[in-house]
Amino acid sequence: MILGLDVGGTQTDTVLIEGDQILAATKIPTGEDLLLTLRKALESTLTGIEPGQIERMAFSTTLATNAIVEDRLERTGMIVSAGPGIDPTCFSVGPSFHVVEGCLDHQGFEAIPLNKTSVMDAVEQLRDEGINTIGVTGKFSVRNAAHERQIVNWAKDHFSHVAMGHTVSGGLNFPRRIFTTYLNASLHGLYKSFSDALTHILDEKELHAPRYLLKPDGGTIDLMRSTALPARTAQSGPAASVMGALALDGCKGATLVLDVGGTTTDMAVVLDGIPLLNPHGVKLGRYKTLIRSIITHSLGTGGDSVVRVNDAGNMTVGPLRNGPPVALGGNMATPTDALVTLGLLALGDKGAAGAAMERLGAALGWNAEDTAERVLKQMAESIAQSARAFVYDINAQPVYTIHQVLNEERIEPTSVLIMGGPAPHIAPYLEKALGLPCRVPPHYDVANAVGAAVARVTAQVTLQADTERGTVIIPEAGEEHKIDRRFDMDQAMALARESLCRRAMMIGAGDNSLETSVTEKQVFNMIRGYRAVGRNIRLKMSITPGLIPQWKRSKDA
Amino acid sequence: MISAQRKTGLVFFPAFDWAISPDHPEREERLLYTQDQVMEEGLLDIPGIVEYRVRPAGYEDIQRAHFCVPDEAAVTTESHLISAGGCLVAADAVLKGEVESAFALVRPPGHHAMRVVHGNRGFCNINIEAVMVEYIRTHYGIRKVAIVDTDCHHGDGTQDIYWHDPNTLFISIHQDGRTLYPGTGFPNESGGPNAQGKTVNIPLPPQTGEKGFLYTLDELVMPLLEEFKPDIVINSAGQDNHFNDPITNMNFSARGYAILNKRLKPDIAVLEGGYAIENALPYVNVGIIMAMAGMDTSFVKEPNYEKDYRPQSRDVTRSIEQLVEALKDLFLRGGLKKTPYDEGRIQERKRDIFYDTDGIQERQNEKIRCCSHCAGAFSISSTASTGQHIMGVHIPMEACPACRKTGMEWFQAGKKGNFRYVYLQDRDQGSYDVV
Repeated sequence: MILGLDVGGTQTDTVLIEGDQILAATKIPTGEDLLLTLRKALESTLTGIEPGQIERMAFSTTLATNAIVEDRLERTGMIVSAGPGIDPTCFSVGPSFHVVEGCLDHQGFEAIPLNKTSVMDAVEQLRDEGINTIGVTGKFSVRNAAHERQIVNWAKDHFSHVAMGHTVSGGLNFPRRIFTTYLNASLHGLYKSFSDALTHILDEKELHAPRYLLKPDGGTIDLMRSTALPARTAQSGPAASVMGALALDGCKGATLVLDVGGTTTDMAVVLDGIPLLNPHGVKLGRYKTLIRSIITHSLGTGGDSVVRVNDAGNMTVGPLRNGPPVALGGNMATPTDALVTLGLLALGDKGAAGAAMERLGAALGWNAEDTAERVLKQMAESIAQSARAFVYDINAQPVYTIHQVLNEERIEPTSVLIMGGPAPHIAPYLEKALGLPCRVPPHYDVANAVGAAVARVTAQVTLQADTERGTVIIPEAGEEHKIDRRFDMDQAMALARESLCRRAMMIGAGDNSLETSVTEKQVFNMIRGYRAVGRNIRLKMSITPGLIPQWKRSKDA
Repeated sequence: MISAQRKTGLVFFPAFDWAISPDHPEREERLLYTQDQVMEEGLLDIPGIVEYRVRPAGYEDIQRAHFCVPDEAAVTTESHLISAGGCLVAADAVLKGEVESAFALVRPPGHHAMRVVHGNRGFCNINIEAVMVEYIRTHYGIRKVAIVDTDCHHGDGTQDIYWHDPNTLFISIHQDGRTLYPGTGFPNESGGPNAQGKTVNIPLPPQTGEKGFLYTLDELVMPLLEEFKPDIVINSAGQDNHFNDPITNMNFSARGYAILNKRLKPDIAVLEGGYAIENALPYVNVGIIMAMAGMDTSFVKEPNYEKDYRPQSRDVTRSIEQLVEALKDLFLRGGLKKTPYDEGRIQERKRDIFYDTDGIQERQNEKIRCCSHCAGAFSISSTASTGQHIMGVHIPMEACPACRKTGMEWFQAGKKGNFRYVYLQDRDQGSYDVV
């Protein structure tokens, strides 16, 4: 049996899966104390289940996200080496930000040596300020990690935890590398105690099966391994619902996935079973990061959004939420009240919901049912409009080769998958507003927990070889080797594949789920004057988000 | 948090799958390190800097600016269409008011491509600025355009296309043609009979540095723009004046380019040449993008700036001061001797043009109707070593009846001549015919 658990903003969903059957699904309110919520969710789901029967557990939590948004981050100092470009202090983050002397160019050649005095001055100041955790980031450190490593070597004995920039991602983006390093460093302590406590709870309940956490790219990572780069577990909620869509529906063709919740509607696009990934990285709170994620958009329109109508009859749904629907004792009319009024949903006080609709439409001469219809229509209209803009933006992504311009693959969703509590009731309205066939998968209201449960481990490596400099580097894996002039694409592919698989296995992948795919592959002849001086090879290889083999097997059977 | 003071569009198209030949300066690798630097600086994340996706230009866009022989398909590849299309995207972004200015960081370049195109000259097939200018005129009703070409090589293609156009001020700042390809661009080249003084060439001596470029800009270029009062300013932003450039002899820097851009404030900048791909372009392009966005560029410099940059010598400064003084006399103080001409007279000129990249020889015979009411109709008959023999007739926008009549007569006569193709580029009617 597989256990999947998704902690949402208001509700925590848990499912128990056997083969392709959902044996149990529970929903409990998310409390203030995350560990307590997790404990309660486990207890309510696992009553009567032998712990030894659980063969896998996966969690999607809000720990990192909330810590970032609520600014509960540990005081973390930054040591940064930059060189010419944008003034690095523009990206100053945390209570103590230090720029040290030293510079690498885009090829990774040292332009200015690292100045030990300036590093040690920064270290001393950080110590004086009582800072115990630091992040170290260098511009172009993904081309040559030597400066970052050197700073860490000089500094590490003075601090309890040090995070490095180049291990975060092989992508180029110095400000994002700074922010991601900062988040990883400042989340470390909090996250470590969370994972220890969760481990303790699971041990106590004799749940010894492999434990995973969900990441925003829709992949999972082993719980113990996740502490190294804790920011990678933030913002996993939207990914959970996309993976749920994949598990419960398959999402053939181009599918627009809508998860209509209480406060928001999250949207994503899945192309032939593979969610579209954000090429830059996810934004966590106010920080743009290098953390890979599924492209999602969150619209502030959900079942519990406040509905307003002005004198001209123009209606808005959201983005405000003000307590529960009127049917449940709230005081502002919501789409949920509209559903209750129309008898589409049996929930709370139908009379109160009807009265709220009545009040809303009174000035315009609409009766309660009439108003309720209009509310749902307007809600669907808002979602449709936002979804169209979302797809437009995906198609507006720049491309850099003639091949891509000419073989323009525009993404046009041909169907819509709707999940979340109000899914079946809002589907007919969305179908009209979007002009596309809409369907609702089974278990639509716990799809996110299913998604967490059956998502496989994902990993990515970025390889850059420069035969002029004589090096190949895979920053995510901390690998850097000397190469000779003959190093070619075949060797690069082999090296990247080996590194990727090793990495995936290390963070919890089984050897039967190592489907690698090449996401970027380029080779450039490097010519200076009219003479070839080398080859520049760039390769991105990844295990893309997908489902664990156990789930697929049972679906096929 | 840092943000752009002016909303700036960026159209980036490095054409990672196109080269003139594997070891040619115009090859796949050219903008690779620029992309690396732009990405690593995180410029595209800065609020107010918007990246746009390119689209290919259509043949109809090219036909507003060129006579392609025998046709567009024969002298362009997809990459040329996309490079020109990138400029159109930049133009749309600015003219629709989505951004205040835009930079088309595209390749291949275009400023050596003339009105008649038999092949590739100076790495250029079609003139991407001219295609953009004519697109802007057609779609946005703008007339007066200034093009400031800061590439190290004379923008002879753009000069050729706008030679007769009184509504286009073309200013080219370049390394003296006696010392560099294409060997033209002297002060006496100042425009055709209907557009005298609307072409301004500023041939700077080799080793001109930051000081000389900025002096020329402040003393000459800015006053010329002020006098002309263009509706839009375009910068052909070649980057081969750089002290690290392997094929030129100038002494400019990333910092200098950034300051130049900040003062010139072009509405649209278009990348032209620049072949110090690993030690100049990454820094110059970052500098230009930041300058356009109104950001602080004082931290932008080459890693070898302190080591290798030498301020310009006193001799060079003196010679630039003399040149600028002489040009001021000609173009700002009314010293330019305009050739007297009779209204309606047909003036002719004969020229030989060499296409260095493709090794083509072309002989042109051009006729223009002297006219004070419009830009004047003109015709070009052209014979090339490829065996082509063609004639192209151009009727300008807002053509006067007399020029239209003359143009149509030339076209009719051409059809009866022994040309292989006769083209009619009717900018006034917005049509292009080939017979």
